[in-house]
Amino acid sequence: MKRRTVWQEIRRKEFVYLFLAPTFALLALFEYYPAFSAVYHSFFDWDGFYVNRFIGPANYKEILFDDWALRISVVNMLKLMAFGMAVGLAMPILVAEVLFSLRSLRWKYAYRVLLVLPALIPGIVGMLLWGYMYEPTYGLVNQLLRAVGLGGLAREWLGDPRVALYALMFMGFPWVGGIGVLIYLAGLQNIPQEVLDCCKLDGAQGLSRFFRVDLPLIMGQVKLNVIMGFIGGIQGFGVQLILTKGGPGFATTVPGLVLYDNAFKYGRMGYASAIGVCMFVIIMGLTYANMKYLKSGIEYQAKS
Amino acid sequence: MSAKRGNSWIELSKHILLWIIVVLTFYPFAFIFITSLKTQSQFELYFWQVVRPFHWENYAFAWAKVAPYIANSIVICVVATTLILVVSSMSAYVFARFAFPFKEVLFYAILGIVMIPGTLTLITRFVLVKRLGLLDTRWVLILPYVAGGQVFSILFLRTFFASIPEELFEAARLDGASELASCLRIAIPLSMPILSTVAILNVLAQWNDLIWPLVTITSEHLKTIPVGIAYFRTSIWRPETGQVMAAYMITSLPLVVLFFASMRTFIEGLTSGAIKA
Repeated sequence: MKRRTVWQEIRRKEFVYLFLAPTFALLALFEYYPAFSAVYHSFFDWDGFYVNRFIGPANYKEILFDDWALRISVVNMLKLMAFGMAVGLAMPILVAEVLFSLRSLRWKYAYRVLLVLPALIPGIVGMLLWGYMYEPTYGLVNQLLRAVGLGGLAREWLGDPRVALYALMFMGFPWVGGIGVLIYLAGLQNIPQEVLDCCKLDGAQGLSRFFRVDLPLIMGQVKLNVIMGFIGGIQGFGVQLILTKGGPGFATTVPGLVLYDNAFKYGRMGYASAIGVCMFVIIMGLTYANMKYLKSGIEYQAKS
Repeated sequence: MSAKRGNSWIELSKHILLWIIVVLTFYPFAFIFITSLKTQSQFELYFWQVVRPFHWENYAFAWAKVAPYIANSIVICVVATTLILVVSSMSAYVFARFAFPFKEVLFYAILGIVMIPGTLTLITRFVLVKRLGLLDTRWVLILPYVAGGQVFSILFLRTFFASIPEELFEAARLDGASELASCLRIAIPLSMPILSTVAILNVLAQWNDLIWPLVTITSEHLKTIPVGIAYFRTSIWRPETGQVMAAYMITSLPLVVLFFASMRTFIEGLTSGAIKA
């Protein structure tokens, strides 16, 4: 009886499902199916096309115990991500605070325009440009060092295993070009004027206002950026693919690149899928933890 | 008076700080521009200086090579983003305005996609498009962009549609408007600002996407900007440094032009607080 009424309800609202049909057709084909297929094939020795042999959890065993390139790549990724998230949060927030406190509205607008411009330049141009700056002979960095008499420090920045990873970290300096500043600025502008007036009366200015008022109130944006930083940081490998191929040796390799190489260079798509599944599990865990713990963090701060 | 002067010193130091950041951010691009007007020997002899004569012909050379990439990127972005707006408005409208069986389940089925890492599905999606015979066509970019881009678009739009007062729709219904008509005549016009924000964010993502087109597009005449210029320097044309820089300049321009044409919407869209957790 119940089932029948649900069915009638569905029939009555047919148009709803019609509206949703394109969304779910596309999701099924290009999102759900590939995701399930990846989980399924992570238990196979699979080259994507012909070889397809069930091997149980062997791929996962290899990931955990035998793949030393992957192990190096995880350490590299953690370093890159820790640094990237630290400067990626600190610099835009700092700039947004300074912009927010500027008195001249016209300049405020001008700086906003200037700082959003780099976000419009294709990321690839930024990458290639930095790759170019690190070049041994005509790279901007070495030329600058020679010009100021520090030629001894000049080197092939991306070719020296001791510094290549740090060179990748330094890319994008001063790390503010992008929409991060705008997003934090929006958060700050949403703080009610009364709250800011109260701060002034109570003498809470500068750092104490920043930690007690501003930061908790832009925590939503911070949280979102932390999640995006994790998700992007764990899988990202565009820079390595274009500039270093993970080298020299394994100095700059990251898990995403190991996955890519396994899939598209060595034809080990089953194994690559298993790496992808591990990333998925880690990302899900971190997203969950982020939502849970960062949130309780704000509530605590707001109360104290 | 003295307090005011103290304040203006603080203001000045803020400006100095911001200018340092702006200069450091832009210097590399200024360098690209200066270098793009040099021949190879000018570049090697006068690395830092601006030197005459300017070689604008570098731009002619680079334009001939990268114009097709730009055209491809524009086609892909326009088609994919338009489709995303249509498809995600429809779904967001339904989720915002109606109660129906399995609504929660279906909504979480969309929300859950956010957590699936792109690299997990990269391989199997590649195998899928290969089987579908889509490899090396425009659809291989457009369809997955629509499938993926609609997710966060639906989440944004749904919140906005839900905030439109019910009375407006009630009035339309009394006037005998159909659901489709009230979506088109009421919800969509009121949502222009949020729709343009969603469009901008999607265009940015598609414009910059590198890895997917790198693995799925091999024909020269279908390549988008990122794939086209990624290996431009080492390509068969053996371009000089100045020509490479000219190519970087040209490929950077379209979005900048679009930006100046729609600056207000762009900045307001991004600062409107639409992007929140």
